Formats: sequence, structure tokens, C-alpha cells
Amino acid sequence: MTGPEWLAPESLEEALALKAGWGEDATVVAGGTFVGLLLNQRLLAPAALLSLRDVPGLGAIGVEGGQLRLGALVTHRAVERSAVVRDGWPALAGTFRLVASPRVRNQATVGGVLADADHASDPPSTFTALGASCVVRSVRGERVVPVSELITGFYATSLAPDELVVEVRVPGGPHRAVYRKFRSRSHEDRPCVGVAACRRDGELRVVVGAVAERPQWFPELCDPAAAPAEIARAYAAAIDPISDVSGSSAYRKRVIEVEVRRALEALS
Amino acid sequence: MRVRFELNGEPVEVEARADEVLTETLGRLGFAGVRETCGIGVCGACTVLVDGETASGCLFLAPLAAGRAVTTVEGLGGDDPVQRAFVETHAFQCGYCTPGMVLAARRLLEENLRPSEEEVRLGLAGNLCRCGCYVKIVEAVLLAAGREEQWTS
Amino acid sequence: MRSRRFRDRAGRDRKAGRCSARRDGSDGDGGRVTDPRVTGAARYAIDSELPGMLHARIVRSPYPHARVVRVDASSIPPGTVALVPDDVRELGRYGVQIRDQTVLALDRALHVGDPVAAVAAPTARDAEEAAALVEVDYEELPAVADVLEAVAPGAPLVHDEHVLSSGGAAYFGLRPQPGTNVCHRFRIRHGDVDAGFAEADVVVQDVFRTAGAQHAHMEPHACLASWEGETLHVRTGTQTPFNLREELAQVFGLEQERVRVVAPPMGGSFGAKTFLRAEAIAAALARKAGRPVKLVIPRSEEWLTLNRHPAVIELAIGARADGVLLAKRVACYADTGAYADCGPGVAQKMGFAAPGPYRIPNVAVDAYCVYTNTPPNGAFRGYGQMQSTWASERAMDMLADRLGLDPLELRLRNLLRDGDRYCTGETMHDVHFAECLEAAAEAIGWRDGRRGKGLAVMLKGMQTPSRASVAIEAGTDGGYVLRCATTEMGQGARAALTRLAAELLEVEPARVRFPDPDTGLVPYDTRTTSSRSTYMMGRALAEAVRDLRANGGRRGYGEIANPGGLDPDTGQGVASTHWHQGAAAAEVRVDEETGKVEVVRLHAAIYAGRVVDRASAELQNEGSMIMGLGTALFEEVVLADGAVANANLSDYAVPSFADLPGRLTHELLERDGAEIHGLGETALPPVPPAIGNAAGSLGVRATELPLTPERVLAALEERP
Repeated sequence: MTGPEWLAPESLEEALALKAGWGEDATVVAGGTFVGLLLNQRLLAPAALLSLRDVPGLGAIGVEGGQLRLGALVTHRAVERSAVVRDGWPALAGTFRLVASPRVRNQATVGGVLADADHASDPPSTFTALGASCVVRSVRGERVVPVSELITGFYATSLAPDELVVEVRVPGGPHRAVYRKFRSRSHEDRPCVGVAACRRDGELRVVVGAVAERPQWFPELCDPAAAPAEIARAYAAAIDPISDVSGSSAYRKRVIEVEVRRALEALS
Repeated sequence: MRVRFELNGEPVEVEARADEVLTETLGRLGFAGVRETCGIGVCGACTVLVDGETASGCLFLAPLAAGRAVTTVEGLGGDDPVQRAFVETHAFQCGYCTPGMVLAARRLLEENLRPSEEEVRLGLAGNLCRCGCYVKIVEAVLLAAGREEQWTS
Repeated sequence: MRSRRFRDRAGRDRKAGRCSARRDGSDGDGGRVTDPRVTGAARYAIDSELPGMLHARIVRSPYPHARVVRVDASSIPPGTVALVPDDVRELGRYGVQIRDQTVLALDRALHVGDPVAAVAAPTARDAEEAAALVEVDYEELPAVADVLEAVAPGAPLVHDEHVLSSGGAAYFGLRPQPGTNVCHRFRIRHGDVDAGFAEADVVVQDVFRTAGAQHAHMEPHACLASWEGETLHVRTGTQTPFNLREELAQVFGLEQERVRVVAPPMGGSFGAKTFLRAEAIAAALARKAGRPVKLVIPRSEEWLTLNRHPAVIELAIGARADGVLLAKRVACYADTGAYADCGPGVAQKMGFAAPGPYRIPNVAVDAYCVYTNTPPNGAFRGYGQMQSTWASERAMDMLADRLGLDPLELRLRNLLRDGDRYCTGETMHDVHFAECLEAAAEAIGWRDGRRGKGLAVMLKGMQTPSRASVAIEAGTDGGYVLRCATTEMGQGARAALTRLAAELLEVEPARVRFPDPDTGLVPYDTRTTSSRSTYMMGRALAEAVRDLRANGGRRGYGEIANPGGLDPDTGQGVASTHWHQGAAAAEVRVDEETGKVEVVRLHAAIYAGRVVDRASAELQNEGSMIMGLGTALFEEVVLADGAVANANLSDYAVPSFADLPGRLTHELLERDGAEIHGLGETALPPVPPAIGNAAGSLGVRATELPLTPERVLAALEERP
């Protein structure tokens, strides 16, 4: 029996030290669904697996200074069911409820879904629309990265090799948000187009996911006074969507226009 | 590495690779009802319960089971109201998806004792049945739901 | 005639009260349930084990067409055994209808995924690693991936010659076309189509397409091969134990009695586990290794193993202004992939179902089974009849539209009745197409308004000719053992036949045992396909019980044959000794901005004749309808340069609970004294055209399956 080494730190300091030491030779395991899939499909053969399961302090949901704080190891299911999140950030709870299946949601984490940077994931779009940020730690210290700047490409993030996401913070205060998930095939299909939209303090954010390597947000196209159809048209024109089995690029453009408009109509 | 966990109420200790998933580990222990089928966590045929919550055995890294309670369909003992309801309504054909389906249905009812038909359809949507027994499975779950008195455990 | 309705909600039949399919939940000791399917005790082919067995893994071509220049397995670790082309070069060619397959690709690999080598190792993980160490050099060759390109002049040839099989599954005259990629051509010539079209007031003509699909049975293909001296033992998931035995005997140059095939229950099959799949590779490895070899096909490789025939169907239909059909011309091109398998039979059935259940005086059908450099296509629930029913029933609605007639009226005016002759010349008996169609129409309130609603009716043949035989032995305990080759894949054949036998023997079903079919112990049966088993094996059972009673009560044997067949050049003869008949009705909503189709209501009315096991019958209908829904809306094997782009259960979408139509109902039409009619497939083919016709009523002129939102949007754009 060989295989990778299993590293199971019991404190954040230990985890960060191990991450710094191993760098990209160790794959971080949070919930483990994505890593489990990659390993089972033999798409990954790391020298070590760095499990965060036993690191305390990463599993809390709380509100501080009006801001929602989600520990990186909080599961999708916990977000979906949290009274705090449903009351204050219902679109976020609703987004997490739409991810995959209950089995995946029982295991997959808030930190994991961001760090995996799967272009078809639902939460990154909603987090971006809500103006969320990640708290990122390393042995070198801490920094705060807006979610909009975290995901840089297909399965790629702006995280340094020694960094871990430890928390996600979502601004509080009154706002209205919505997330729409359009599937072109079966109900269990990965989304063809995902649209998150949020109105807050006279500002509007529209984010389109699942159509490109990263969530698509064009602040310059989000005039809060513009008509939904206008913004929708502009977004469809601005995005060069991917083609895959759930839809061609041309089809996705059509659906982007429809779904952005419908999301904005739901917000008014 | 050695992994110690509880399996159907009994403590076990296994030798497993760090990158091994539970379908492989449990398969070696003879639990054939946990069946890797799609290998990517979408079909639910390998569903197990970990600390009472459903999980895909084909995505669950064995070391993550350390110190936790894993339940397979064999652990239900055969006098479970959901198993009984499945048999009464004949909610299976080939039966390959059934172990996972039974565990998923149990979990759904534990969280929602009186689901609507729509809630059952949406709640079980992550478990695929290629034989297409969905209509009868929904019937079985609603039948089991109606037997609330058997759910106090 | 008595008609019973089975509603979706909790299966409750309002007329009869509680659903009669309910059974006792506590069937075991102490009130516990013992059905192995719910306790985890069920065992399938994949669970087969023998001491000392090795695990196999196949090495496959990454190219759609390439010369295999060199295979070098020298790097595999000790304890691993490799199978390379030289190991199998002297083995026999196989193929149930065209002998076009070798155990490994010898000279050329003909599709992405074509086996070129294989390894066996102590664990599955070891085998996976060893397979990656086998080095293969290829020289790419021009490939053809599209069926119409493959029949165009000058297309690269997938095979240079077509050698006919003489085995039991080559049950009709084969007509390969030398020098082309056509490995079988079936024709129907009835009347004079040119004269018929000349007389017609309206002619509708179009080209219809159906995508390939993957069976996606939950249990993968799995087999375990071992040798005892010169006898080959194979435990495998198969619907066709005797055909497989014959093929393996052919490959290894053995007498058939030297091959024993045991068929444990399968976790679904739907046609995929038929004829020779990976068993010869496992057997060759077992012989070389001197140890049993187990081969389980990894999920992603299932899309490289067997799929459903994509088809292009060119159809023209002509009618008088009053709706009477005068002429129909159909050309079906069935893409069989790189190896024929049972493709010729599929093409033939596609062809003889293409005219539809109608009286048409002039019919010309040409059905072609065509090679392409894509993974092989073979038996799939519906067996060719889904594809031609799609084209035929869509065309009927287009014709109704042109004629200004109600699509139901147009069909009723032309449906076959008892005593009519079909275009094959055979006389139709026990005909209930109109009743099925009327029942389906009524179920969705057709006469209250047609907008958003669609109908389809179809005929499907049952394997003709075929033969079923069975033996019954009395045990010492007052019970009986059935020696029966019918295999179990979830359709409940074992339960139905056990129940039938028990009824005939006048004992409780628990006193009748039905062990896994073993070709060494059971008499011949054609195969468990074509929805024939309850009917044919049921009749053979009746004969066996008669024999047993007449000869001392210890042993009985029964044999039934249904003779028939069609002339491949004229299509005349007996296509089917009895016909599977059914209709479907759908009500849909279409989101005109996204093209997404929502099926609000789906109903199937299927002629069952006589229902043996009600729960199984309901499940077969529901399962077929749901599979039809997948075919209609999103199932598609997507190819890119000959490779399958969606070879997993996420990128290939199959129906989930949440895809169920708002209301799904069905009914089984029965008639006192009628023959048992198989139900395994009948409710599948009419579902896609019912949905397509419903969308058609909203202006979506669909000709291609699946009816993806993208295609619907494109069709809406073409609305006049």
C-alpha cells in the first residue's frame, strides 16, 4: 500500500507551516469532494494530502459588525440551513441549496468551492455579486482578497502556493439579491448559465457564471438606473462564452441575455 | 495508513491508502452494497451515511472517516420502515441503485417527516435510477412518511 | 375490452381502490424484509469471484482509425500478464451477423477505444497502472465519423471485406454491399411508390435525425473467465448466454459444449450486455495467465464499448386530400460504428417499423447498416424502432398540418385493423393500435384543445424467428427447479416466469427455484431481448408442465418456436408473429426565450394482452417512458473527432427524479384470452415523437433528437 502521505494538522499554525513546506506537492483537502473525485479518476497524484479536517476554528458561521463570516470549512449544507444566513443573506443560502446533491453539500465547503475555482460552480457568482472577500492566511501573514479577484482562470486562483483560505466575509446591511441557475438538459446537469445579481446602497452588481473561465462581472455595465433588458443585452455582447455539451457559445449568449434580464426583473 | 472508524455500530480498523475512497475500503471489507458506479459522485449508488448524513462513498477519502460513524444499508437490519415501504410498493427493478436510494430516502424523511411529492422528487434528485423506478420510489417514500410512529429513533 | 388505468400518484387506481401491485412488506422471518435488493445482499455479475483471480484492464486506441505499428508490453511489472496482438492473431474472428471483429485489433484500430492490448494484475489498481505502461505506436489513417459521409462515394472503407456469420443470431439473409461501408441493406417493396406519389394531393418530405445514446446501466459490464483444462467457464452479465457461447466457441475453436456461460443477475442492461463484449479478452488473458481473470469495464470506457445507433432517416409520405395515405418512401441510415455487432438486425427492424402501423398501399423502404470509425453501436431498448418511429410520427403530424386535419383523425383514418395486411404481406391479428391511440388521446384531454399536445402511435416487432425451450425438474422437497436461459436484468422475468410456473404446477411461487442460467444446464433459448421472454418462455413453460404431467411428474421439457422472417430484398414474409403496440400522448410548455421544453403531462397506453406480474409491468412502462423522455430531451453521445466528448454521467445526462413530467401516467390494455405481450420496450419509442409533436403544435418544427433547447430555439426562429 503506497500512495500519498496524509498530513493531518491540528492547528492552523501547523497547517500553514505544512502548506509552506510542501507547496504545490501537497493537495489541500477541505470537504474532499473535488479532491476525492480527482484522485478516484486518477487526474491527480500528489505526494501528500493536507487535510484541514482537524484544524479548529474554521467551521463557524457568525455575524460580526453586521458582516457575515463563514469559516472555510463550513459545509454547503450548513450555509443552506443556517437561520442567520437565510435571514440576512437569503440569496446566498438559496445558492448553496442549488449546488449538486445533498451528498456533495454535506461534505463540500465554502473555502473549497472558492479554491477549486470550478467555472461551473454556483457560489462564486453569488459571493462576487454580494461583494464578498476571502481572508487568506500563510506563514507570511494575512490578506483579504475580494472574491472577484480570487478566481483567475479554469481551476486557477490568485492564491500563492503557501496560502489557505480561512474565512469568507460577506458585507451586511440591506440589500436585495437573487441567483438563477439555468440548466439546459436534466435537472442534475451542471449549469449552462448562472446569474447572480445584487442591489445594495444604490449600487448594482450582475455576475454571470458557468459561461467562461471565471465569473463574469462588468461594473461598467451595471448602471442601477438602466432597464434590465439593456443591461442584459450589454452583458450578452460583452461575454465570449464557452461551448460545451450543455450549450454552444452562441446559445449561451442568447441565454445570458434572457437570464440576466429575468434576474434583474426579479430584483425590482 | 491505519484508519479507525465505526461501521454499522461496530469499531473497525483498516489499512488504507491515503488517496483511497470509501467504496474501495468498504468493498474490501465485503460491503458490496456500496457500489462505485459513476465514480464522480453524481449517481448516488455508493451512498453511505457518515455521522448520519449522506455522502458519496466514491468521493469520500478513507482517512476522512477516522473517528466517525459510517452506516451502510446492511446496517439498517431489515426492519426499517423505508426498506419495508420499498418492498411493499416494489420500488426497484434491478436493485443496483436501491441501497443508496434507501439511505437517501431515510435521510430525507429524518429531516422532513411529511414531505410533499415535489419535495421527495427534488430531495432525491441526486440519486439516479436508470431502470426508471422514480414513480414507485416516490410512492414508497410517501408511504413510509405516513408511518410516522416508526420514525422515533 | 377491459382497460385499466394506473395513475402516477401512489399508483392508486381510482376505480379499483388500492393499487393491486402492493405486496407484503414483511416477507421474511420475524417481520424483517429479506428482498436482497433493499438489504444490500443482492449480488450481480460484478460480484463474481474466484480464488487467485487477476483483474484485467484494456489498452485502447486513442485514434478513430490507425495502423497498429507496435505493441510493447515489456515494461509491465512482474506478476502482471499482458495480452498483445500476437497472442490472439490465430484466434477466430467473431461477430454475430458480420464476422468483422478480432479479440484485439490486429492490423488496424478502427475506432477510438478499440482494444489493442490488455493486462491482468493482482488488483484492479495494479492493472490500471500496468495498462499505462504498455506502449503502442500508431500511424493515423483517414477516418469517417458521419453516416452520410460513410455512404458517399469515395469514403474511406472501415472494413475491406464483409464476411457473413453463420451463427444463430444471423437469423435473416444478410446483404452487405461490397466495396462500400454498407454491411447490410434491407428493402421493402410493396406496390408502386412512384404511382402512389403521383396520385397524392399532398406530399411531405423531410430528413430526420436521432443521436446516439448510452445505455448507462448502473452496473458496468463485468465478466470472470477461467479455464478448466480445455473448457472455458465464463460468468458474465449477459442477456444472450447461448449467442455468447457460440461466439466464444468460434473464437477459441472449441465445440460449444466446451464453453460454459453462467449469467448472474445484471444491474440493468437495456441491450448493452449482449453478444460478445469483453469476454474473449478476459478468456484469452485467463488462458495465458493460467488463472481466472475478472474484467470490469470502467465507467468512462462504457461509451467506447457499445451505444445506440444514431440514424438519419429520409422520409416522404403522400396522401389524398381526405387524409388517406397513398405512398411512403423511407431511407434509413443506421450508423453501426466500427463493428457491425447486431446492427444489421437493428437496421432491418428500423426499416420494417418505418411505415408505421398504417394501411399504405405503396411502400418503399431502404434501410442501411453503415460502418463509421466510431465506437460500435448495438442493441438498445427499442432496437431501431425508436429511430424510425420518431421520423414516421413526426411526419404524420407534418402531413396533418398540410392537410388541415386533426393529427388524431388522420391517424385513425389509416391505422391498421385486424385482418389488414402490412406492407410486408403479413396479415395483422390482435390489433389494438386505435384503442391505444384513443386511450392516450383521452388521457390528455385531446378533444378539449390540442395546443401544446402531441400524440404518437407505434408498432414494434418481436424477435422472429426465435426459439425458447425450458426444462422443469422436481426436487426431493416437493418443489421444482426451472432450467431456463432467461436472464434477469431488472425486468422481473425471473419473478414472472417463476409465478407462471407456479400457477401451472399449482404450487406456491416459493416452491419454484430459478437458478442463474448456465448453458451447461439449461436448454436453448434465442436470448432475453425484444420483450419476448415472458411470452415465449411462458409458452414453453406450459409445454414443459404438460410434458412433466404426462411423464411421471419428475421432469418435463417444453419447446416453442415462432417461425417467420423477411426476404431482405423485398421485405416480404413475416416480420413478427405478434406485434408490440402502444401510443403516447404528451402535453408540453415551451419557454420561447430559452427553448427549454417542460413536459407537463405524459401518458402511455400500451397493449399488454395479458398481464402476468402487475408491478413488473407497471415498472417496465414507467421505466421505458422515462428513458424515452431522456432520448427526447437531452440524451446524446457527443463525438469530437471520433472520440466521445461526454463519457461520464455528468456530461452525459440521464433523467433524474426532478425530470419527471408533472404528471406521468400509463395504462395497460388487456383482453380476456389474449396472448402475453412483452412490455420491456414498448412505451419508449412513442414518447419522443409525442413530445416532438406537442412542441410541433406550438410551432417547433423539430426533426432532430434530442430536442435540446438550442434546437428548439433554432426551430422557433424558422417559424413562418
